Amino acid sequence: MKEFRLVITAIALVLLALFLLYPLALVLDASLRVDGTGGFTLGNFLRIFSSNYYLHSIRNSLVAGALATVCATVLAVPLAFCLARVNVPGRSVLLTLASLPLGLPSFVAAYALVLLFGHAGVVTSALRDIGLPIGPIYGMPGVVIVFALTLYPYVLMPTIAGFKAIDISVEEAARNLGGSRFYVFRTVLLPVVMPAVMAGALLVFIETLENFGVPSVLGEDRPFLAVDIFKLFAGEADSNPAAAGALSVLLIAGTSVVLLIQRRYLSKRRFTTNARSAPPLLPLSRGWAIAATAYSWGMVLVSLLPFAAVLLISFLKFRGPVMHWEASIGNYIELLAGSYRPLYNTLILATVTAFVATVIGAPIGYVVARHRGRLTAVLDMAGMVPFAVSGTVLGIGLILAFNTRPLVLTGGWLILVIAYVVRKLPFSIRSSAAIVHQIEPSLEEASINLGVSPLKTFATLTVPLMMSGLVGSVILVWITVASELSSTIVLYTSNWSTMTVRMFQFLEGTAPGAATAAAAVLILFTAVPLLLVNRRLRRQDGTLI
Amino acid sequence: MTAIRIDNLTCAFGELRAVDGISATIRRGELFTLLGPSGCGKTTLLRSIAGFNDVTSGSIWLGEKRIDSLPAHQRNIGMVFQNYAIFPNLKVADNVAYGLRARRVPQAEIASRVEKALQRVRLEGFGSRWPHQMSGGQLQRVAIARALVIEPSVLLFDEPLSNLDAQLRTEMRVEIRRLQQSLGLTAVYVTHDQEEALAISDRIAVLRGGRIEQVGSPEEIYRKPQTPFVAEFLGGTNMLPGVAGAFDGAATTVQACGATVSVPGKVAETGGKVLLSIRPEALRVARDGDTAILKARLVLREFLGQIQRLHAELPDGTPIRVSALGAATVSIQEGASFGLSCDPAQIVAFPAP
Repeated sequence: MKEFRLVITAIALVLLALFLLYPLALVLDASLRVDGTGGFTLGNFLRIFSSNYYLHSIRNSLVAGALATVCATVLAVPLAFCLARVNVPGRSVLLTLASLPLGLPSFVAAYALVLLFGHAGVVTSALRDIGLPIGPIYGMPGVVIVFALTLYPYVLMPTIAGFKAIDISVEEAARNLGGSRFYVFRTVLLPVVMPAVMAGALLVFIETLENFGVPSVLGEDRPFLAVDIFKLFAGEADSNPAAAGALSVLLIAGTSVVLLIQRRYLSKRRFTTNARSAPPLLPLSRGWAIAATAYSWGMVLVSLLPFAAVLLISFLKFRGPVMHWEASIGNYIELLAGSYRPLYNTLILATVTAFVATVIGAPIGYVVARHRGRLTAVLDMAGMVPFAVSGTVLGIGLILAFNTRPLVLTGGWLILVIAYVVRKLPFSIRSSAAIVHQIEPSLEEASINLGVSPLKTFATLTVPLMMSGLVGSVILVWITVASELSSTIVLYTSNWSTMTVRMFQFLEGTAPGAATAAAAVLILFTAVPLLLVNRRLRRQDGTLI
Repeated sequence: MTAIRIDNLTCAFGELRAVDGISATIRRGELFTLLGPSGCGKTTLLRSIAGFNDVTSGSIWLGEKRIDSLPAHQRNIGMVFQNYAIFPNLKVADNVAYGLRARRVPQAEIASRVEKALQRVRLEGFGSRWPHQMSGGQLQRVAIARALVIEPSVLLFDEPLSNLDAQLRTEMRVEIRRLQQSLGLTAVYVTHDQEEALAISDRIAVLRGGRIEQVGSPEEIYRKPQTPFVAEFLGGTNMLPGVAGAFDGAATTVQACGATVSVPGKVAETGGKVLLSIRPEALRVARDGDTAILKARLVLREFLGQIQRLHAELPDGTPIRVSALGAATVSIQEGASFGLSCDPAQIVAFPAP
């Protein structure tokens, strides 16, 4: 078994070194050179810190991230409590719906906000017509709203698991000692789930810093870090790889620190009370029950509203940029008029990545879950690093690394798959580690004891037992790749354009109609598999993140 | 006949030496129990026989063959796990057949051997069931059948009864013992339950801190414990500190807690400190005519049905426990003084550490 562990660890570390650390090292290198290729300089960083524009960009990203994290947490914790402990009608449907925003592409929600509340938005125009002008949604408010509404499940899922893991006797003891229900919630329940809440909240923060799509759709004039990096690297007029590198380094430094805090925090403060079964539902007065129901359904529906709006609008007629209240499938015709290629590409890339990432991630997850040691701790940490690396930066790094001999990979599908596999590896590692934690090690020992070699035991016993986790991993990776924009936008070529890129291009141009159709297709691609395997995914959510 | 020889075995995990230089010989056909509190190294020792632990130094021999570096799956040593480790994805018969398939036994033979193994553990007809349809006791039997069917040279039991309720535990204990005896199996059995160890074993090794304290038959280690730890771990005892007096060629007088007791054999040099172990059931409430060796004051009486336990105090405050049969009438009031008598042959003395 030791050989197996060492081989897996070695393969994993080599892959991550080649396709993650090496590209990132080149980004760092570029940031420390004059014009990205010349002699050593700290000038790129100095220029950023003396430029008002970039300082604004950094500040905007941090402020938007912080606000969104706070909002997502404040929205998610009461919802988590309601879903865990209150008899809200349709709880299981709600749970399913609440997990949707995790898979749905967030920039689609951002675009929906533009369609509804933008300069020419449906709601804006309607309100203007009745003499109620509303302020612009662009910039900070829109970005924060979309982040909060799409990322709150990161807090919701582990918090629900946390509330459910509290043994009822703990609560009864607190009540018995004289605490009122609210006092017990504040002094016992909330502190016990706090590590889960914090872990989720920090992930929300990381996601907001890396996210490229939402600020690029909604930011308008406001600079945001992730968008500026892309513009500096790929912009036709103002291309500046050195400055892009410097900003990337700052971004990764920020997200890495937060991830490190998240891991440390989680590892040190995990309260468990070993609930044998989930605590019973709270008996609530009629008023409170209605309030809890209204909040739960309201919150979940509002978070899905943008996606529903996009679906609806995609079937309306557009003439140029102007929408008409008239049913039509013209948008879809326009979307597919050029070529079916992007549609196929999305399906092919997502499928290939899902299987490759799972095949690589499953043994890593197994080793991480089964063995405690210095080497596996390194592996565990290394497997999480992609979480801290924004897709745009990884894309830039991969281009720097594999655009020249000896290994030219850019310009085809392979570089996209590599980027996706690296980025989604944490998902497959986490979901297989989660399932391995549920498999008793003695099962494998029994098999070995009965005369089956360790390798064969892994293949014929462990893998079948892990199957539900592996299916979960495939689906999860598939969904997130289908809605992936930030690395694709850097790495795609005209032959290997995807639905997300097409949608982005329609937005940049003036074809909002086709953009809505592309968005609708993306929603379909992500929502359908999510709904199909929701039960399976939900079971793992607590451990997934 | 030697089945297993363990020679100066050490298993270290970093700083911790879970097994610290253990040597032991397990004879063919005996049930050998490793007994000790948690953390004493009993499970580590068992797992290194099975091949699940890396051995730091020393060797393990199966008959004439050295096995400590043999991969676990090539040792042909059966094991029954604490949580049974029944494969949830396989039916009962397939669980039992697992080891036979690994050995490429012909299909026809597998069916008959599986059926026979299930019969042995009184589960005939259960082969087509799923594990989740079985009770804890039944799963335990499946685990035993699965380990037996490969005809292992040694059978290992890792606290096999600890997940069962009290009554089932006693039943299974008898069943395991009869099966082991009727098949003439060599078995190594790990438990922390001293009653279970006494009931089931041919010989017991009491472990503490990775070392063997004493090996012997249940009677030997109960009646003639060689260390205070063994005396206290098996059955509990009263440990009285004392000072050795003169040795008269047959017995030593010991001054303990204000009493003078004569202990057989030479206990220590005159004036040496000793510990006296007197089992609660060796003490009797003295009646008229008995010579009381100790005076005590009754603190609390517990009636437990079969026996009653008297918690008392010696004049210097040392607590002492006395077991009397439940049927005996004890007419001492709590707080009253009474005399205790004891057969000197049942007193064991240790040099004080």
